[in-house]
Amino acid sequence: MAVCIAVIAKENYPLYIRSVPTQNELKFHYTVHTSLDVVEEKISAVGKSLGDQRELYLGLLYPTEDYKVYGYVTNSKVKFVIVVDSSNTSLRDNEIRSMFRKLHNSFTDVMCNPFHNPGDPIQSKAFDGIVSGMMTQTG
Amino acid sequence: MECQEEKPIIYTMENKPIVTCAGDQGLFMSLYTSLAQQLPREPMEWRRTYGRAPKMIHLEANFVQFKEELLPKEGNKALLTFPFLHIYWTDCCDTEVYKTSVKEDMLRWQNSLRLHGSADWVIIVVETNDTKKKNKTNILPRASIVDKIRSDFCNKQNDRCVVLSDPLKDSTRSQESWNSLLLKLRTLLLMSFTKNLGRFEDDMRTLREKRTQPGWSFCEYFMVQEELAFVFEMLQQFEDALVQYDELDALFTQYVLNFGAGDTANWLGSFCAPVRSWNGLLLRRPIDMEKRDGIQRGEASLLDLRSYLFSRQCTLLIFLLRPWEVTQRALELLHNCVQELRLLEVSVLEGSLDCWVFLSCLEVLHRIEGCCDQAQLAANCSHTVGLWAYATDKLKSLGELCGLVSEKGPTSEDLNRTVDLLAGLGDERPETVHSLQSPYKKLKEALSSVEAFERHYLELSHAAMEMYRAIGRLRSARLVGKSLAEFYMRKGDPERAESFLQEALKSYVSEGWSLPVTHTRKQIAECQKLLSRTEDYLQTSALLAGDLNLTSEERKHFCQEILTFAAKAGEDSHKVTLSMAVFAQLTRLQFHPATASVHSGADLRVVLTLRCLMPLSVRIQQVAASIHFDVDRGGTRGRSKGAQRPTNPGTVEFTHSSSSAGPPSSSSVGPSLELDEIHDRSPSDNTLNSAGVVCKNTHLLLRRHDSNTPPDTPNCVSPPAVAMKEGAQMLKVQDVTLEPGNNNVIFTAPSEQPGTYTLRQLCATVGQVQFVLPHIYPSVQYEVYSQEPQLTVEPLSEPLLAGLPQKVKFTLLTGHYTVKKGVALQLSNTDTMPILPSTSCTAHIRDPAAELVGESVLSIQSSEKVTSISLPPTPPYHTLEFQLEVLCIIPSGSDRPANERLTNGEVRHRPRSYSHPDTPMTAIDQRMSIDCPWSIYSTLLALTFYIPFKTKHSLLSAGNRKYIQVCVQNVSDVNFMLAEVKLTEKQHPSLELLSLNTKTQQPLCSKHSVFCLWEVRWKDDLPSCLQCVFSATFSPLNQDISAFKPFHYQFNLERVTTLYSVRAEILPPAGEQHCRSGFLCGLEVSVTRLSEPAEGELAEETDTDGLKTTKLMYEVADSSSNWAVCGKSSGIVSMPLRANATHKVQIEVMPLFAGHLPFPKIKVLKYLPHTAAVAIQPDPDSCVENDSLSLLDKTLDDQADTASIRSRGSVHSVGSGDQQQKGVAMPRLEAFSPGQVFNNSHARQVLVLPATDDHIVEVNAT
Amino acid sequence: MADEAPFQLLHYELLQYIYKAADGGDAEQGRNVTKLESMGFRVGQGLLERLTKDTARFKDELDVMKFICKDFWTCVFKKQIDNLRTNHQGIYVLQDNAFRLLAQLSAGKQYLELSPKYLAFTCGLVRGALCGLGVKSIVTAEVSVMPACKFQVMIQKM
Repeated sequence: MAVCIAVIAKENYPLYIRSVPTQNELKFHYTVHTSLDVVEEKISAVGKSLGDQRELYLGLLYPTEDYKVYGYVTNSKVKFVIVVDSSNTSLRDNEIRSMFRKLHNSFTDVMCNPFHNPGDPIQSKAFDGIVSGMMTQTG
Repeated sequence: MECQEEKPIIYTMENKPIVTCAGDQGLFMSLYTSLAQQLPREPMEWRRTYGRAPKMIHLEANFVQFKEELLPKEGNKALLTFPFLHIYWTDCCDTEVYKTSVKEDMLRWQNSLRLHGSADWVIIVVETNDTKKKNKTNILPRASIVDKIRSDFCNKQNDRCVVLSDPLKDSTRSQESWNSLLLKLRTLLLMSFTKNLGRFEDDMRTLREKRTQPGWSFCEYFMVQEELAFVFEMLQQFEDALVQYDELDALFTQYVLNFGAGDTANWLGSFCAPVRSWNGLLLRRPIDMEKRDGIQRGEASLLDLRSYLFSRQCTLLIFLLRPWEVTQRALELLHNCVQELRLLEVSVLEGSLDCWVFLSCLEVLHRIEGCCDQAQLAANCSHTVGLWAYATDKLKSLGELCGLVSEKGPTSEDLNRTVDLLAGLGDERPETVHSLQSPYKKLKEALSSVEAFERHYLELSHAAMEMYRAIGRLRSARLVGKSLAEFYMRKGDPERAESFLQEALKSYVSEGWSLPVTHTRKQIAECQKLLSRTEDYLQTSALLAGDLNLTSEERKHFCQEILTFAAKAGEDSHKVTLSMAVFAQLTRLQFHPATASVHSGADLRVVLTLRCLMPLSVRIQQVAASIHFDVDRGGTRGRSKGAQRPTNPGTVEFTHSSSSAGPPSSSSVGPSLELDEIHDRSPSDNTLNSAGVVCKNTHLLLRRHDSNTPPDTPNCVSPPAVAMKEGAQMLKVQDVTLEPGNNNVIFTAPSEQPGTYTLRQLCATVGQVQFVLPHIYPSVQYEVYSQEPQLTVEPLSEPLLAGLPQKVKFTLLTGHYTVKKGVALQLSNTDTMPILPSTSCTAHIRDPAAELVGESVLSIQSSEKVTSISLPPTPPYHTLEFQLEVLCIIPSGSDRPANERLTNGEVRHRPRSYSHPDTPMTAIDQRMSIDCPWSIYSTLLALTFYIPFKTKHSLLSAGNRKYIQVCVQNVSDVNFMLAEVKLTEKQHPSLELLSLNTKTQQPLCSKHSVFCLWEVRWKDDLPSCLQCVFSATFSPLNQDISAFKPFHYQFNLERVTTLYSVRAEILPPAGEQHCRSGFLCGLEVSVTRLSEPAEGELAEETDTDGLKTTKLMYEVADSSSNWAVCGKSSGIVSMPLRANATHKVQIEVMPLFAGHLPFPKIKVLKYLPHTAAVAIQPDPDSCVENDSLSLLDKTLDDQADTASIRSRGSVHSVGSGDQQQKGVAMPRLEAFSPGQVFNNSHARQVLVLPATDDHIVEVNAT
Repeated sequence: MADEAPFQLLHYELLQYIYKAADGGDAEQGRNVTKLESMGFRVGQGLLERLTKDTARFKDELDVMKFICKDFWTCVFKKQIDNLRTNHQGIYVLQDNAFRLLAQLSAGKQYLELSPKYLAFTCGLVRGALCGLGVKSIVTAEVSVMPACKFQVMIQKM
């Protein structure tokens, strides 16, 4: 269901980005990169506006005609972005949430891997597995 | 009562719940206005069903005359037209009238109501005073009428009849009655609402439950629920109204989804109809009736339905002052519609949707602008910008569709397409006909011509970009910019395009997004090519050629671009200079030899490792590295500097942050922090106050640095201005072919002049193209030094022993000097250290790397003055080694040759001996002076030898007989064999030295001594002074006799003749034959003159009786304190000048112990009265004095080689003693030299008995 | 606290190891503490990812520091920081009155000499954690009477 999943470092360079092979990868790179605008907007909103919910899940960043882009930021300012095809409108918010949780858990494991050097692109079979799971499974 | 005639219209903004009025119309009319005004004045609390929160609402009503047909027919669900309350007005107070007419009328009214089952009615009885005056006859109390009415109609619900008393007066009474009436009306209305709405909702729900049944139509249901929405709206309950629409929205969406999921509802058919009109949303009317009708008739298309729904929601949201929700919902709606149409597989004319979306976006924006001021808009453009951007996109795709973007304008079929699209728009709506700038007009115009399109498109794009910038969504802004750039490219305007692309590229690069970087860069390349900005283009293509995101074909293409340009014959001769970094990376640099420091003229190679980023192998005409040369004096000692190189010498690794694909690694940013421990001690007592960890380089770390630096120079957007500095020295290699990946380029570095060479720039030339690395960092340098030839001599064995042949090693560093054939070293010989001719002496020649490169036998010629060693030919900066055997003659002493000139005309240095601090041996420095062909000065070299022996001598006497003892001590670490010990006397041949030594050879081990003894025999008389030479041969232990080397020791003995003999006797006390301790006994000392006074010895004095005497002083000194001397222990005797003259002295002594006690010591000294003080020059002692004097300053003197050795033999302790007394006129004492006084009783002992029962004596004593 | 014993023991071994290794080579002053600190840094980063997985997003710097003092400290040392002070200009002082890694050594001034090396690792932990939370900082420590210990955090404004 997810057509593209990306992990973006604190400094906004991609740590991991993968999209369904059927579609034009480049487009997703642009989409994800642009979505950072909204992510930053939402992050900086924290604390300013009252009654903001300070959960890691940022919700729908912005919809486009073809895709919905969802965001999530860890406390270490690492961003997760999931792009979903607009056509499957059946996708519920909490499903997205759980996807992000899964991602986050897996990411944490990567970070705790002694062979991983923080700030390097993610090269982890386990993580790949999780991601492909989300991209294939039909929601 | 204006509207009472015609059927009330279904919807006006001021729609109100309908209330019918029956009965006395005139009466009602008189009260209508005040009623209509006062009813809404007070709010009422509305308690609601289904647990919805109660609300305060202001009730209004639309009063209409009662008509039968107003009452709802069976099954008519309409709510808007539903009369919620029916009022009957009357002011009748006359029973007759009531009975005759009014009652009838009421009954009819009641029946018709009952017929339609509406129970919401009230009868109002108005009572005015003037009515009384009309007819005074049969007046009943008003109450009775009311009661009648009540009894007739309102059985058990009296509240349905209300009295309003003279309403037109304003009296408190009338007020009260008004209020109660109004209250009544409101309550009844609300009751009616609650009842009827409740019923309506129930019906609606049941209807919705039926939605799965066949024949159920969404549109019908839509109408029903919308009715409810209307009513809520009518009651100003916009919240609730909105909810109704949202529910409908959700319901419909769900259907569409289900359709997508497979189960189709037949009513959906109408929505699946192909889209025929796409004239956007219409938000200017409160309600769009034609669409509504369409829906009602079930003919609405999906777009119609959606548009209508949204327009309603929009209206309500604006009532609720939530305009920004409108924009947000609008965007969702538009996206959603597009999706739904796809999902329902509705056939759509290409581009029509774009039109619809475009129009809708603008419509929404207009609507919002309509309802809030600029400030608000500016503050909230984050909500509107989405629509702007969307509209922009759509317009762009439309433009592309209609061929308005291409350079050559639309084609015929483009035009047809345009026509079709415009047709779908239909006519402009009446609302907007008069507003220029209406979306409709905009679109029409935009599609009309290329120029118009461009104008509109740019306007929109810039608007969008501005807003994005304003709210800090720079990335989005850049993305719009990019598509704008694409537009410009299509229009064939690369100039404008590039600036946008560059800006975008910058951000992608700085944030390390490789794919966008690559893509954008490709576009830029295109621009630059079109603009024929050759350098930039080549630079970019170089980047792309090395870009791993591209396919190898693409990379090859770009690489080829460069090569073809390079290959172009230089009709324009100017070369293009690009940054090397995009073409190849300098990864490492190696020096051979690794020290990176060679002597001038030597061969130094530099190996560059270049990682070529090109996909093809590239032939390079020349790789050149420019060198900066400076002569520094330090350069002459090259090696030391070379050694400074940190890690493996001679290799410099150049680290590159990874290529464009690489993210800026967060870890690599900034210096790493350094900690240290601190211990803070109190200044007073040094106790520890606190300990901790501190940061040593805080100042560095706190310096602000932005966390993401551009990863690598290749990414820098425009090529850096690089220039190759010409003129400087160059390392050059011609015709290199760089394969993709690592290549080694080998240079031969110039090394003529000594100095430091720093590699500055690197430049690879491919035809017209130059790739330049402007700075080689970290800086790399190598050194060339030149060295003077050096000759050194070092001993092979430590320490060098004098007296034995010793091997020394000659080492010649040729430096820049070339030793040609026949060149020879001239060693000036010295007889103190001859060079022993050796049969075979071979020289070893080594190159700078200490590799043995040659051997040859040296030919050595020795004349008496010089030894010349002819060297084998040796190249520069080689070392020549050979060994020679030298012998340092142990100076035996006396010989003192005058300073003679050496062959080379400079003063010969006397080998000088001195005692070395760290060895017991005496050291001798031997200087050797060598004439080297490479310099006019002769080289002076010093060798230090050590004398392995210390030698002492002593004179022993027995009466007149004399013995000479020589002690040779081996102070070296070597064991020797000593042989042929001999002692000779120089001046007196008559003198005979009889050896008392038995062995001819004897080992002399390290740190051991050998003593030799000779007896001196003489004929007539013994010379007072002997000059002896002790000689022996020695060699290291167990070597054949040939190896023995001589060793001489020379010494003088003076005044050897015995002058006096002293004899002492100890006499027991009288009557005892033994001495007893503690008892005085006599000591008799007799001094006898043995020989005639020597010729030197003058009579000092004539005695009273005229005899010549010499004055002697005796002294009894008991060192071991065995004896107590009683009375004077010393005295002066004067000896007559005649042989065997004896002088006796009696002294009383007392033994302090019992046992065999040694005799007390007796000293005899020469006594010189003051008169003779100065007059004793010729005295033999004085010549000793002089001697010692001369010795003293000789030892200070440099030239006094052997003095110290000789002096050891002969210096007198007194010698210095009487230096001070010199010149002072006073009697002096002078010691005799060892041989002159012979003590007979030396070492004699006497038996002393213990004192008899001395302990008793002691008792007595106490 | 049985479950923290392994960490403490491991930590002591770590010190032993580092300092032994340094004895051989050129043990330039401060190199060991620096090494320890950098180890702590990496550990802190990893640990943080784990800990903040389920916490809400942090409002501000102070919020972050509180997290360090409470959750983080508790996770590592089974207790909270006893006192947190700040000058509101990016300097925070975290006071632990019974710092676990010193508690086993002594109470008082004895062995004060040796204390610094027992702090370095923790300095790293804190710096790592903060860095993970996007707060660049320098962390130093000070002991005057064991086992009480002050950690000073200096925020690097970027």
